[in-house]
Amino acid sequence: MADHLQLPPQPVGEIDPITLEILRHALQAIPDEIESDVSRTAYSPLIYEYKDYAIGLIDTEGRLIAHSRGGIPLFMANVLGLAILDGLVCYRRDEIHPGDVFISNWSETFGQHLNNVTMYTPIYADDEGRELIAFMAVLTHWMDVGGRYVGSSASNDTTDIWQEGIQFRSVKIRSRGEPVPEMYRIIEINTRFPEMVLGDLAAQLSACIKGRALYENLLRRYGKDVVTCATHTIWKQSAEAAAAAVRSIPDGTYQASAFLDNDGVVMDKRIIIDISVKIDGERFIVDFSNVSEQVRGPFNSGYFGGGMSAARLAFKYLTTPMEATNQGSFAPLEIILPDGKFMSARPGAALARYGSPLPTVIDTILKAMAPAVPERVIAAHHGQAGSHRFQGKLDNGRLFSNLDTAHGGWGASQGRDGAGPFKTVSHGDTRDVPVEMQESAYPLRIDHIGFKTDTGGPGEFRGGLGVEKRYTVLNACNLTVTFVRHDCPAWGLLGGGGGSSAIIEIHRASGEKLGPFLKVCDIELWKDDRVVIITGGGGGYKSAHLRDPQRVAGDVMRGLVSTDAARGIYGVAITPQFTVDEAATARLRAAAGDLL
Amino acid sequence: MRIFAVDTGGTFTDMAAYDSSQNRIVCSKSLTTYDDLTDGILTTFDKSGVVLAGEGIFKHGTTIVINALLQRSASGIALVTTRGFRDVLEMARGNRPVPFDLFYERSAPLVPRELRYEIDERMDGQGKVLRPPRRDEVDALAGELKALGIAAVAVSFLNSYINPEHEQLVGEWLRAALPDVFVTCGTDLTREWYEYERTATAAANAYVGPQMNGYVRLLGAKLTYRDFTGKFYLMGSNGGVVSADRALREPIMLVESGPVGGCIGAAAYARDLGIDNVLAFDMGGTTAKCALIEKGQFDVKPVYYVGGYDYGFPVRGAVIDIVEVSAGGGSIAWLDETRRLHLGPRSAGSTPGPACYGRGGTEPTITDANAVLGRISPDAFLGGEMHLDIAAAQRAINDKIVKPYGLVGESELLRMAAGMISIATVIMAGSIKRVSVERGRDPRDYALFAYGGGGPLHAVDLARELHIPTVIVPPEPGNFSAIGMLLADVRRDRAETVILPLVDASLQRIGSEFQRLEALLREELQSETGSSEIATERQAEMRYRGQVHSLLTPCQNFGDVAELRRVFEDLYLRRYGHVEQKNPVEIVSLHVIGRTSVGKPDLASLRAESPAGEPSRRVCMVYFAGSAAKLATAVYRRHELPDGFTADGPALIQEYGSTTLVGVGDHFTVGRLGEIRITVGGA
Repeated sequence: MADHLQLPPQPVGEIDPITLEILRHALQAIPDEIESDVSRTAYSPLIYEYKDYAIGLIDTEGRLIAHSRGGIPLFMANVLGLAILDGLVCYRRDEIHPGDVFISNWSETFGQHLNNVTMYTPIYADDEGRELIAFMAVLTHWMDVGGRYVGSSASNDTTDIWQEGIQFRSVKIRSRGEPVPEMYRIIEINTRFPEMVLGDLAAQLSACIKGRALYENLLRRYGKDVVTCATHTIWKQSAEAAAAAVRSIPDGTYQASAFLDNDGVVMDKRIIIDISVKIDGERFIVDFSNVSEQVRGPFNSGYFGGGMSAARLAFKYLTTPMEATNQGSFAPLEIILPDGKFMSARPGAALARYGSPLPTVIDTILKAMAPAVPERVIAAHHGQAGSHRFQGKLDNGRLFSNLDTAHGGWGASQGRDGAGPFKTVSHGDTRDVPVEMQESAYPLRIDHIGFKTDTGGPGEFRGGLGVEKRYTVLNACNLTVTFVRHDCPAWGLLGGGGGSSAIIEIHRASGEKLGPFLKVCDIELWKDDRVVIITGGGGGYKSAHLRDPQRVAGDVMRGLVSTDAARGIYGVAITPQFTVDEAATARLRAAAGDLL
Repeated sequence: MRIFAVDTGGTFTDMAAYDSSQNRIVCSKSLTTYDDLTDGILTTFDKSGVVLAGEGIFKHGTTIVINALLQRSASGIALVTTRGFRDVLEMARGNRPVPFDLFYERSAPLVPRELRYEIDERMDGQGKVLRPPRRDEVDALAGELKALGIAAVAVSFLNSYINPEHEQLVGEWLRAALPDVFVTCGTDLTREWYEYERTATAAANAYVGPQMNGYVRLLGAKLTYRDFTGKFYLMGSNGGVVSADRALREPIMLVESGPVGGCIGAAAYARDLGIDNVLAFDMGGTTAKCALIEKGQFDVKPVYYVGGYDYGFPVRGAVIDIVEVSAGGGSIAWLDETRRLHLGPRSAGSTPGPACYGRGGTEPTITDANAVLGRISPDAFLGGEMHLDIAAAQRAINDKIVKPYGLVGESELLRMAAGMISIATVIMAGSIKRVSVERGRDPRDYALFAYGGGGPLHAVDLARELHIPTVIVPPEPGNFSAIGMLLADVRRDRAETVILPLVDASLQRIGSEFQRLEALLREELQSETGSSEIATERQAEMRYRGQVHSLLTPCQNFGDVAELRRVFEDLYLRRYGHVEQKNPVEIVSLHVIGRTSVGKPDLASLRAESPAGEPSRRVCMVYFAGSAAKLATAVYRRHELPDGFTADGPALIQEYGSTTLVGVGDHFTVGRLGEIRITVGGA
């Protein structure tokens, strides 16, 4: 599937191993260098802390030459290359000139929310601008691109793409090095945060220009043919490494399923994630034929932005996790995904929360593969982006939007308790916004943030714990919350118990209690209302009765597991001095053994 | 005036001693003694016959702090936080810097959960008291800590950056109740916001406090036993020394104590030689390090990651801005299963060491490649103290690289050895780009100042790679870290988060805040050194409103807001390539640096008299990748080269502890301070 993503059959020419290694370093250095600039000049916390961006060099076939190490891993399914390929549909080659810069967020190229705007600029092999050879591309998450809700994608109930903001289908914002003022005017009046969006756009633009210069330097120094040959050789090597990793998986068809609670609009219908993976020699085929159809609410994604992205991420976790990512990394991967599924939505579908289901999709692929490669997987993680966003007016009348997402427990594995709290498998080097910064900038106080006892899935190795966070509202504002995985919490592996689900509650100053709930859209909060968000824990590994009682005692002493859970779930009796009551423990575990 | 500087490194303890009455520097080296580090220190004096007794200044760089943190050699450390926030230390920032590793885990917190306590107090986000701490609660806690035999306590409260009152109060109460326990507050160490970073810093300071106290007291006692009656300073990470008293309270300031000396030395040379722009480049056995020096000043960065960004934890405080990469003489080259050639991060270290050391090493290292190519002479290594086994080096490269590629013959061996050097060059060039290009600097505008055992051997390759026109090699490059320490001032940095718009109405507040910080610094430095000659320097972290990252902007003598904005925007443009003229600018924090000199040697004293007579000149064969052949190369002894001596490359200049390589088309001159200055051809 997807011909344009294929590798060339063979690298052109030969390259000596030393030059190859030098170019490998040099090519990777370009997006990595640009990355530090982007995150340091950005205005939106989604870029500088959340790292919601992607930076890459793309060839004229849309193939990924090099990709930044940081950023959101989800974009690796080549959002950049697809935007460029669509640009090459919109413009003839003779309509593209040196110094042109394009932007694109058209929902039909990739199928993610409209905040993800790719900017790209052509790179030429010669000084005269005749031979187009590559593009420098930078995607960033724009704070707001219009639509029904502040932040555009902070929606649980939009039902088509036009409710979610403005779309640009590969339009020039610079032409031959000169800004196109009309485009800037369009952008400025179509966002609720013009200062931030234009600031981020400036950062994105200098990143494109700087990256282009760096690649041009490389071409000049080593010659186009050598750089191209090195690129193709690197792809081939990455493809070989990935193929070797697939070959080491026993052939067979592996299946798993999971689900999400609902689509935010039709509240009584689950989104089914029923997946099978077929391993056949070097082929790794993910079959999504049995997942739910496209949904009415905003939890859809496109073929590439949804199904392909999730499959690629899971594949990367399972095959060559420590290698740099490029076009070759995914060569053995194929997906079967008919049109019109919620991960391959048709044009016009609402996409605002495209990312919410994907961590569960990735978890499910890992779950399917667990019997085949138990040493390469962990139990399920809390599995949700869990966005919670306060928005309103500051005292000075300025609009604010304080977005945070869930971090929770990760799954346990052989020999290791689950780690965390981290964001999801779709995230990477994404940092939390410090409490001190939030309290200084927004009318909120955070009263507590810490591990929640007994949320980690029980097991010989315990799942990581969920996090409890308590807010007090200091000034009227609105809250939007999006959680998706209540009825299908993180599962354990090989007999390990599941982690607990996320819970959100509102305690009004008046004494009224709302919730627990998973989703609310722009609910009004008043002074002294309190919001409690407890995120989920990770799944456990093997039976809790196999856990070393000393480790259980340690967990109880640290307050990670309660004495009751130690007794009732782990079968371990803990004394008030946090030591193990050996005799009582033996009795408890023997009794449980009788039941088995 | 007598000054002693001792740098305890991983392999060697280096000493440099200066006596102004003789205007002379004596250097000495001895093996680091891990059982008791002070033994190795005193051995350097015994070996060189330098007498400690009497007045003087003793400066000491040590890796004891970083080692304690990396090896987790302490226990019984407690943390006290605001109610509701004891897990901040463990939750960190919730990020996974290694994105595709399902098994990723950050290194464990320095204080386990059962020793993290909460106190019922609260300051709001604007610094207003919501709930004051209660003495009875703190006293009860102190009783519990005492019963547990806790050795050190860190106190870190939410929003203390804006109002440290509660933190200081609780710190005092704990000190009063626990006189034998090391107590530290986050705001004693940093007044900048971000609760995780500040808490991690406080925990790290508490963690190393007891050990550092033991060490400093032991060394102090040993110095006293040798009748040393002068002052004792330690090398701080900020590029200045700190008094032993301060080091006892704030040991975390010594976290990057080791590599600082060389940078100070490089800065002093650059000033004396009148070179504005210098890249300090230090290559040792396992890593190469690089720092940018402009007008004799180096930058400090506000955060340092112990154990690296990927797995480690942050420490706030001024740390000299050094980029370090895994490329040293001992770095091992290897092929992976897809036959890709890698270098490092594994190093052969000193045991077994590179194959050519003949101590059983079989894996090819950079030193082996240098030996095979003829760039280091088998009989002149460490002044002839160690003979190099060239055949073993050839065997290692042949077996591990040449043969697996299906190649044979001497020319392929040489080509692969040269390739290993090229890869090391690219990796090291990466570190130089990170401190220069990423900060908006063009390396071509800089001179490369090379030292450390391997720096002078690799400098011209690196300079050519980056088009740097000039390389400078100081005298005693192998001992340069200790020499740099001789030159160090006492330095203290203070920074506070103060968020203000950059408008006229803020100017008065900015001025008074700076004055307050300067007064604090003067008082501290005066009590530390007894000197009232204190120079201060003002800087501010600035950004466009709405951004989070900021740029450290000098604001020494600005007239008005427009001028300050211009300084900021010049820096911004240089670094990022664009400015945003429409957007308002704001100040995030104010920084003041205070310096006071405790006496320093004259650089000219570093070398012996310019030698008379014609220097000897041998010829040997050295392989040069650019010519793809072995070329006849002149070999000089450095101590025989008089001032003003000049010659063309290719050449090797040998001395104890280092060899300088001058390439084909290069040209070198010996300068007035004894430095070798190489004009790089084709750069």
